[in-house]
Amino acid sequence: MTIAVKGTVSEAVDATTLALARRELARAVCDAEPEASFENVWHALILLEASPLDRLNRSLIRGRTAAIQR
Amino acid sequence: MDAPQPFSDREVAFLEALVAEGVDFLIVGLAAAALQGAPAVTQDVDLWFRNLEDPALTRALRRAGAAYIPPTASTPPLFAGAGTELFDIVVHMHGLEPFEKEAGQTVRIRLGRVELPVLPLARIIVSKKATGRPKDLTILPALEDTLRALRHAPSAG
Repeated sequence: MTIAVKGTVSEAVDATTLALARRELARAVCDAEPEASFENVWHALILLEASPLDRLNRSLIRGRTAAIQR
Repeated sequence: MDAPQPFSDREVAFLEALVAEGVDFLIVGLAAAALQGAPAVTQDVDLWFRNLEDPALTRALRRAGAAYIPPTASTPPLFAGAGTELFDIVVHMHGLEPFEKEAGQTVRIRLGRVELPVLPLARIIVSKKATGRPKDLTILPALEDTLRALRHAPSAG
């Protein structure tokens, strides 16, 4: 069996390290703000790692996709 | 090959024309929230103008190869032409102070070659609460949690 792997092992390690750091940050936010949803904070932190233009384009692409599916 | 992005050079060029001509405007609504990190989806970019009859707006539209279509009894004001299709014109924001006061406390976000005035997330939340529409109330928790994330992890933005 052949498994297609995108990216390198070092990229995967970097992504995991980043995700673990983000998880700790999201948890710290939720500890300080008990009414916060971990999922919302997690996704906000992911978006805050992107450029503003990328954030806007993600929002517009998902908005259009949702409109087409309605 | 990467798919074309909905907000591309044409849309940035239109905003650059507004800035270059000194038009008083703010990016508002969910596009403004998305720019500040909120996991919100939208189909358009709302622009709130101080004065739609400002000659600077006419100059900016001409510079961008676009035009202004005034409102009628049954239709809102619209833009037509290159790079304007994504933009909606806002003439009133529920629950907020007049334009002049809100414009004094914007956040500046760089898109392309220009820094743009954006309504702060806290003020977007105030406006969404004021409208009371179900679709606005649904997104409130995500907006409020983004504000919490920014408050405790400001370096993330």
